[in-house]
Amino acid sequence: MKCTIYYFKPLGLLFFLCLIPLWAFTQNITVKGVVKDVMGEPIIGASVMQKGTSNGIITDLNGSFSLNVPANATIAISFVGYKTQEIPVSGKAQLNVTLKEDTEMLDEVVVVGYGQMKRSDLTGSVVSVNSDAIKKSVITSVDQILQGRAAGVQVQANTGMPGGSSSIRIRGINSLNASNEPIFVIDGVIIDSSTGSGSDNALASINPSDIVSMDVLKDASATAIYGARAANGVIMITTKRGESGTANITYDGYVGWQEMPKKLDMMNLREYAEHRNVRSGKDYAGQDWGIVNKDNNFVRPDLLGEGTDWQDEMFSKAFMTSHNLSATGGNDKNSYAMGAGYLQQDGIAVGSGFRRLNLRGTFDSQVKSYLKMGINFAFSESKQKLTISDESLIRTALMQSPNVAVRNADGTYDGPDTDEWTQTNPVGLAMINDNRNEKMNIRANTYAEATLTKGLTFKTELSFDYGITNTYKFDPSYEFGAIVNETRTGTYSKTYNKYWSWRNIVNYNRTFGIHNINAMIGQEMQKSKWEYLYGSRTGYLSNAATDLVLGDASKATNNGNSGESSILSYFGRLFYSYNDKYLLTFTLRRDGSSKFYKDNRWGWFPSAALAWKISNESFLKDNSVINNLKLRLGWGAVGNQNVVNNAYRAIYSSVPTTWGTGLLAGNTPNPDLKWETTYSSNLGIDLNLFQNRIELIADIYYKKTKDLLLQVPLPAYVGTSSSPGATAAPWKNIGSLENKGIELTLNTVNIDKRGFQWRSNFVFSMNRNKVKEMDTPTSLIDKTNQTGSTITILTRTAVGQPIGQFYGYKVIGRFEKATDFYYKNTNGEVTPVALPEGMSIAKNSMWIGDYIFEDINKDGVINEEDRSYIGNPEPDFTFGIGNNLSYKGFDLGIYLSGSVGNEVVNWGRRELEDSHANNNLLKSALNYAQLGLIDPNGPDDYRNVQIIAGDKYACRMAGSTKTNESNYRFSNLYVEDGSYLRIQSISLGYTFPRKWMQPLGIQNLRVYCNLQNVYTFTKYNGMDPEIGSANQDALLTGFDNYRYPSPRIYTFGLNLTF
Amino acid sequence: MLIASLLFTGCSDFLDSTDNSNIAGDNFYLTEEDCKAATAPLYSKVWFHFNDKFYYGMGDGRGYNLRAPYSDYIYPFTDLNESGLTGPLVQAWESFYIVVQQANKVINGINSGSMSESVKPQYIAEARFMRGVSYYYLTMLWGNIILNENSDELVNNPIVAPSSISDAFEFVMRDLEYAAKYLPETSYATGRVNKYSAFAMLSRVYLTYAGYSDNPNSGSRNAEYLELTKKAAMKVIENKSFGLMSNYADLFKIENNNNNETLFALQWVTNSTTYGESNTIQNYFAYGSDVTGTDRAWGGATVAQPNVIWEYEQGDTRRKATWMAYGDYYPELMSDKGGLTFEYSQTQLNCKKYVCGSSKDNASITYGNTPINTYMIRLAEVYLNYAEAAFGTNISLTATKSEDDTKVTLGTNVTCNDPIAFELYKAIRTRAGLSTNGTSFTFDDLRRERRLELCLEGQYWYDMVRWAYYQQQAVLNYITGQKRNTNIPVLWDETTKTLSEDTSKDRTQRSVGDVQTKIFRLPYPESETVQNPLLKGDPIPYTFTENRITDLFNE
Repeated sequence: MKCTIYYFKPLGLLFFLCLIPLWAFTQNITVKGVVKDVMGEPIIGASVMQKGTSNGIITDLNGSFSLNVPANATIAISFVGYKTQEIPVSGKAQLNVTLKEDTEMLDEVVVVGYGQMKRSDLTGSVVSVNSDAIKKSVITSVDQILQGRAAGVQVQANTGMPGGSSSIRIRGINSLNASNEPIFVIDGVIIDSSTGSGSDNALASINPSDIVSMDVLKDASATAIYGARAANGVIMITTKRGESGTANITYDGYVGWQEMPKKLDMMNLREYAEHRNVRSGKDYAGQDWGIVNKDNNFVRPDLLGEGTDWQDEMFSKAFMTSHNLSATGGNDKNSYAMGAGYLQQDGIAVGSGFRRLNLRGTFDSQVKSYLKMGINFAFSESKQKLTISDESLIRTALMQSPNVAVRNADGTYDGPDTDEWTQTNPVGLAMINDNRNEKMNIRANTYAEATLTKGLTFKTELSFDYGITNTYKFDPSYEFGAIVNETRTGTYSKTYNKYWSWRNIVNYNRTFGIHNINAMIGQEMQKSKWEYLYGSRTGYLSNAATDLVLGDASKATNNGNSGESSILSYFGRLFYSYNDKYLLTFTLRRDGSSKFYKDNRWGWFPSAALAWKISNESFLKDNSVINNLKLRLGWGAVGNQNVVNNAYRAIYSSVPTTWGTGLLAGNTPNPDLKWETTYSSNLGIDLNLFQNRIELIADIYYKKTKDLLLQVPLPAYVGTSSSPGATAAPWKNIGSLENKGIELTLNTVNIDKRGFQWRSNFVFSMNRNKVKEMDTPTSLIDKTNQTGSTITILTRTAVGQPIGQFYGYKVIGRFEKATDFYYKNTNGEVTPVALPEGMSIAKNSMWIGDYIFEDINKDGVINEEDRSYIGNPEPDFTFGIGNNLSYKGFDLGIYLSGSVGNEVVNWGRRELEDSHANNNLLKSALNYAQLGLIDPNGPDDYRNVQIIAGDKYACRMAGSTKTNESNYRFSNLYVEDGSYLRIQSISLGYTFPRKWMQPLGIQNLRVYCNLQNVYTFTKYNGMDPEIGSANQDALLTGFDNYRYPSPRIYTFGLNLTF
Repeated sequence: MLIASLLFTGCSDFLDSTDNSNIAGDNFYLTEEDCKAATAPLYSKVWFHFNDKFYYGMGDGRGYNLRAPYSDYIYPFTDLNESGLTGPLVQAWESFYIVVQQANKVINGINSGSMSESVKPQYIAEARFMRGVSYYYLTMLWGNIILNENSDELVNNPIVAPSSISDAFEFVMRDLEYAAKYLPETSYATGRVNKYSAFAMLSRVYLTYAGYSDNPNSGSRNAEYLELTKKAAMKVIENKSFGLMSNYADLFKIENNNNNETLFALQWVTNSTTYGESNTIQNYFAYGSDVTGTDRAWGGATVAQPNVIWEYEQGDTRRKATWMAYGDYYPELMSDKGGLTFEYSQTQLNCKKYVCGSSKDNASITYGNTPINTYMIRLAEVYLNYAEAAFGTNISLTATKSEDDTKVTLGTNVTCNDPIAFELYKAIRTRAGLSTNGTSFTFDDLRRERRLELCLEGQYWYDMVRWAYYQQQAVLNYITGQKRNTNIPVLWDETTKTLSEDTSKDRTQRSVGDVQTKIFRLPYPESETVQNPLLKGDPIPYTFTENRITDLFNE
């Protein structure tokens, strides 16, 4: 709960210093004493002040103090994280003080838009995650902190790849266009990027150990102050700043190992060879399967070994380490914090890895009695290896057959020698291809804040965020068996991002008796620019040195482009509190954006909220059970301007032609485009019982998003498809959708006795969304996947339905016997069962052992009209459970997270269980339905065929491609229950007693070990049920297409402060 | 300071973003140079997804020249098994309509542009040429299609009914006739289309439409359109700037791009950086990475159907220029190693056309990008169009299978005695190194000549569709006779240079779609029918707003 009290401390001191003159006292005595905590450990650095004066001292290493005060004075003893105690001296010369930890989170300071508030004054829905949670889990990127720790915030890693991205959804999906990511505000500065997609994560540049707290603004009454960009919620990140007092130097570091949490059960060489022999041999009726030719190497499969286990070759134990060093300190006028961090995370899959270096510093100074200034900067450099994701090598590794060796005897990489069906050597490619990026980012922020008159301040703040991304790609020449590449290609690119913003804020804060007013007005301007430069050459003479200069200049290609956007805003907030019982907040923001045509550029975003502190009413004031009860009600409107630049005006894009640069129409402009607006209402209750032993926060909300921004899906004959040369489809405001949900947070102190403490917290989130209207030609949005040349519709989003549901066929059974091909209809007539379009009862078509699909439209044939919704990726609810136990320096944290009722498409299984396919398969693929003749001397007629072996849900293996395409079409068979309960982390730490450490000059030493991603309870058959969204597209959530599995991590580390 | 900042930002310029990567709409279509810049991309990028896989996947795959049992961009077409979700089918549909709509944007842009009125028709003609060619493909493949001249109308209301095949042909002919009238006599830049490109295309379109009627087994063709076919073809044939190249194999060398046999070819750039701007056919055709020098060589199992090889006569130089057979020597490939002797396989013939080698063989070849033009129409076809028109109005075709089930012919009893037609037919054969006896040729002779001359140039399926406009049952019998469900194991004899069935191995069977009339109409891409249910419904008449040009052949 340390939080941002620092901000107030220097201010507080300032007030003491400036406003209270030193007056002379008589009868001074010297009071001595020791300050200890409940465990009897001395508290070092506690402040001991004579109340109402600036006379004070700080406790020494033994917790002792000695202060000269008037005999009738009162002294106040305070320390961060503890309840302040006031003790009348009453002439006593010796005072022994025991400070109690401040479990009361009510006075925590919460960072809200353009300011801070006491949590007890909040009227909106804000959830905070403090540095304790950050410290006790091993995370490499800040987005991971929020997973399961904040009600209403759903975080799913899109990939387990080091440096990869997450999907963050605050209170569901608000928008149908690609991004549903919240904005991140670091120390007051909006960082100009989302969480990225796939392997790319803008947040990966931030060092989690620099973070003090994260506050998630969820409802519109809290976010509306961020207006046009806040529709998806706002995450406020506060980093460490200095505080007055002794300088502290802290070291945090760990080393760890990562491993694959789960392996798929693939065929080994013997099984593969046997299966291939089956496929190239004769079927039950003595006919050729005709699937594949005989491989003469597989004559005696029993003599073969295990072959290559491509999973073992691709994945291995990987090392990770992190070191952070920081120093904080200051005096009553100046304070500082600085730090450096280093993270190295090798990937569990070859061809992946992440490294990050961070430097940061902040300095705040009370320059004049009326003027405070400060600066902070953060620099980061990160390197990421991407070979594996770019080449989709995990899929290749699973599909590569076990008869292909990874290496030749001489150590060089081998490859397939067959010309019939070629899969490259994924390990070889991952090892030799160079594909990585290097990012540099510098974020700086400087401000001046003047106190104009009592309670009135003016703050001006200028922020920069500059980033450079360099990508390096070199494809060397190689020879993997029959696959030869002689062309060496080097490709380099540089992206330069520049963002600046300037804010001016006037703040007025006064208390008049029982009236408390806090008013703020401000103005902000923001501009982003980006530039991209690309160059590529081939014709390198060797693989040894790869810079462009060594490529053939006549084979050089290059490209470059740029863009910019800007936002101009005015905003204000009025907070009023009456007698600390009735609280009111109004906010209003007006935003103008360059993304829209002049006439539609400006939007108003208002909000209003009120709260009633029932516990401050006289009838509850001294209640022994309820010590806090607050009711919150809020409403607001926030916007979304996530469209491409130029969507409102016509542009022409350049195309190289043999006659020089040509120009093609690039888009379909829509000058009427305007903001998407989300209106949300929130009702919340905060309840604390039994001296805060139990804290319950509950919220219920309803959100409606109108004027949904969408790049309209149009038929390809309009000329707006995804093929080269197409014009981009127009962006339009096309409809509305709603989200509603419930969130609960329960924090309890279960046991707090004799130094043993057990605390628990529980978060629960439930959200339901539904599309209300969609003004497109079809009121449908389909999302597809293309594998090879086959395009499959995966999800459909339609009016009246939840977003992004899986859409496909339903398997209702299997043809077991001849009579299954017919049924009696309601009139008692024998009717043929619906077969797929163009298919009949024939061995090369539909046969015993093939799937029966539900004929949804009852037209007697299975075709695309028989698809329906077959699963919803949105969970029924998600939850997180944390338990923290501590006893005499030992602490144990167990943290679980879970998701219930969400469905996942196991795309890999669909491919790897296709018993007919020419690649390595899951062992379960061997359970296909085996056929046999009922009468061995009878004909090969469907009336004489039966299923004799195999899994009872599996279909037969068929020689005909068409039959296989029918059986393995995208159906409910591949939609699995993605519910899971995961032991997210277990951490065990020991803090050495201060009395041992103090002689060594050490303030604090804690050693710990941590297990991350310990175990997952799930029915899901794939590697990992946590999937995220493909390309950050909310409409393509829960689609597991060979996702890089999240590793299990074991770490050992220490925190040292001296 | 607050006031200062408010003043500063009060200026609304702050929200006007500049864009240096695109040309804004109001800065374009000002000069004749802009017209040229607008029409230039219509020769390459917009056709990319047609060229990439569909050009040969449909023309030769479905035409049964090409076999690729592991390549899902060919076998669905060969096996008559494609659906509205087959990737290349969807991509081709998209590509054709990109051509149409980008051409529409050019036409409408120039019409409202501020350049001199006198220069406008020529560039509008260039765009209309492209639109006409694209609509020709669309209606040949899908039958009823959406005809549209302004995409802005469709954006606001995309749910419209399609037009009939005859309206589509009417549209195509109007576009190409406009092009024939207003395109320049000679191209204003090498590779750009001219008047004769349009006449050549018209010869194909007239010939095709001549056989179209409501009755797919009418056995008769429209005399007027046959006459127009000959007239249009003659316009090209009589023009001395065009001629057959003397050596057939030279047609498929990069250095001979835009030779005097070319009438319209897609123009691919060297060294492009962006997906969709280069010719990628070689990547799919080359049998191995030793030819291309890169890992982009996926044609190991993309091979000739024995059926087509058996149609080549001994000594036909086109065979080696089209297909690589065991022992064939190509000095232009792997030139740094003394040329390529094809010894990859004796049991198949791999693709040669459009395979131009590595960057060592030709410096303009880069990784995955082989800038050889893609032929859309060349003079040899115009000869054959004339010859086909000369068979007259009444044609009754019969398909005949050979006894060993290896060959099938179509129209052996139908004879043409037209002397001009015979000379043109003979010229094609002579260039291929073949002698021609007598003074007449049969329909099957012409069929075979078209197939072999234009093999791997994406044509043969469209021939079948054209013939099926008036002799559908015969063409169905012909396709049935191709025995697409049977794989015949074969062996190439290097010394006799013949291909024969390998009787030591069994013929194997595979499942193919039924040979029914519906194979002549491809399924619409599924996303289109989902979005526009009217597409599958009845066509409505198209309203033409301008008068058709009638004075094209008056001189």
